[in-house]
Amino acid sequence: MADRTMTALDAVKGGLWTELPVLRLLLGMCPTLAVTTAVKPALTMGLSVLFVLFCSNIVVSFMRKLLKPHLRILMFTLTIATFVTIADLFLRAFVPRMSEMLGPYVPLIIVNCIIIARAEACASKNGIFVSAVDAISMGIGFTVVLCILAAVREMLAVGTVWDIPVLWKGFVPWAAMRMPVGAFITLGLMIGLVNFMTKTKAN
Amino acid sequence: MFKAIRHYVQQSWLLLVSAFVFGLLLALANTAWSPRVQQNKKDKLNGLMKSLITDANRFEIVCEDVQVDIGRGKIVKTDVYKAVGADGNDAGFCFRAEGMGFADKIELVIGVDAAFERIAGYSVLASNETPGFGDRIKGDYFRRQFAGAPVMKLGLSKSGDACKIDNEVIAISGATVSSTAVVNVFNNYLEQVKERLKQKGLVR
Amino acid sequence: MDTFYVLLMAFVSIVVVNNLVFSKFLGICPYLGVSGRIDMAFGMGMAVTFVITLAGIMTWLIDHMILMPYGLEITRYVCFILVIAGAVQLVEMYLRKFFPPLYESFGIFLPLITTNCAILGLCLFLYVWGIDNFVQAAVLSFGAGIGFTLAICIMAGIREQLRFADVPKCLDGPPITLITAGLLALAFMGFAGMIK
Repeated sequence: MADRTMTALDAVKGGLWTELPVLRLLLGMCPTLAVTTAVKPALTMGLSVLFVLFCSNIVVSFMRKLLKPHLRILMFTLTIATFVTIADLFLRAFVPRMSEMLGPYVPLIIVNCIIIARAEACASKNGIFVSAVDAISMGIGFTVVLCILAAVREMLAVGTVWDIPVLWKGFVPWAAMRMPVGAFITLGLMIGLVNFMTKTKAN
Repeated sequence: MFKAIRHYVQQSWLLLVSAFVFGLLLALANTAWSPRVQQNKKDKLNGLMKSLITDANRFEIVCEDVQVDIGRGKIVKTDVYKAVGADGNDAGFCFRAEGMGFADKIELVIGVDAAFERIAGYSVLASNETPGFGDRIKGDYFRRQFAGAPVMKLGLSKSGDACKIDNEVIAISGATVSSTAVVNVFNNYLEQVKERLKQKGLVR
Repeated sequence: MDTFYVLLMAFVSIVVVNNLVFSKFLGICPYLGVSGRIDMAFGMGMAVTFVITLAGIMTWLIDHMILMPYGLEITRYVCFILVIAGAVQLVEMYLRKFFPPLYESFGIFLPLITTNCAILGLCLFLYVWGIDNFVQAAVLSFGAGIGFTLAICIMAGIREQLRFADVPKCLDGPPITLITAGLLALAFMGFAGMIK
């Protein structure tokens, strides 16, 4: 991780591969496991996190010269909590069924370690443009990971992806995929896969 | 003394200012969107109730905060809605009901006919039952057995004719607890809600 | 006697049936990070239990005495997280002053607890489940902490044994922990239906 300042390109590369949220960064796993029962809620959650990351990174970067060191975590938390409340209200107003499926996991974005980590590591040390790019790339990385995990789980649990049936008719759904078991195991295997891919690249 | 205050303000002015700004932002978002949120909640309930009593035009609350004892000393409150048909006549009654299922709380919307003699049916508002087993309380096999059943104490049995509409309900195989939960909800609510409506003179 | 029974059932339900880690996916990050050794795991669990009970009670009180009566529900999330951060800070200062050795042994866990989804999650669940009884809220908060401790200690025990097993290189660390957690979640599913 580059230390004081990053270029925008670093940010893009980081968010989309080297520091891919959840799979390489190993943060933000709580919502990952909970909302990936189907692709639609996963996408909604990913986009909400993108929105909150974007707004909070910009605001924190804007204020970065004024932050007092021992109050900064409080400031980050306050900023993130405000934007999460706005996002939650938006979801409840315009996509109520999705909001119900996501339930209490939307406010849990506040303690999603990814957002605080990015505010601390990137936004408080870099300019607005770089912070914004970092937020977008991290957000996209997170959304992609969630959607892949959700696609696997939805396909095996119900046979559909985005409510479109994709498997052959005789397929007996694996109900376990919809439950916590499936979530943990699939995520574990995915992280293992990414580890494997990075190791072979390094060799 | 003032030096201490000035010191604190110097340290925390950003916090206070941003708290104020964020508060404003939240208040703005709230005023803009919370009417929609309320409307969504109402629409959802209305949509569910309409699917139960299909010839209803609109629903009006007739009894607020009816207290129902759902066993183990737990008392919950529910509102009873009257369905009004297009011709202005009563089409039935609807209310939310809840009970303890296999995994978690089960919330239903129950509809009955205008005379409170026959059940119109139920829809599941919220439940967390096992997919493939208890989850089938949302499915037609179980729900169809309630449509047209008489308003009286319902019994659950493991085998029998599911197509026969009477006060016997055939359980979902492999989901006895969830099936019992739904039947218990009906037994708890029907009697007490009917009693309350009789007291108010809305039902004979 | 009936109230005691209800409370006991609530406690049991949140410790095993609705265990925060295995059925609500809360508290995974510290769960993966700290479950290496049993003593660390137990320490983390105790710290979390303490904070979660305190935070649960405080947020429930604020919710019912200030936010709901005055229609300030929009500030709920902001208030909750600030209360939790404040509670953790208070606990830290209190421990540092009055129980230094205990503070030393908690080490870095305490500040980390603020971002533990389990705490905010529980406070929100208290609202979502409509708990309108103070004692029940307190029992559930405490039970949630105990459930977390139970989950993390079981995991630590298994991981200590796993160190002697032949885990494939790319699955070492978080992946195998998650898979183990999945199997534990499967086991805990057996508790469903325990409460009538």
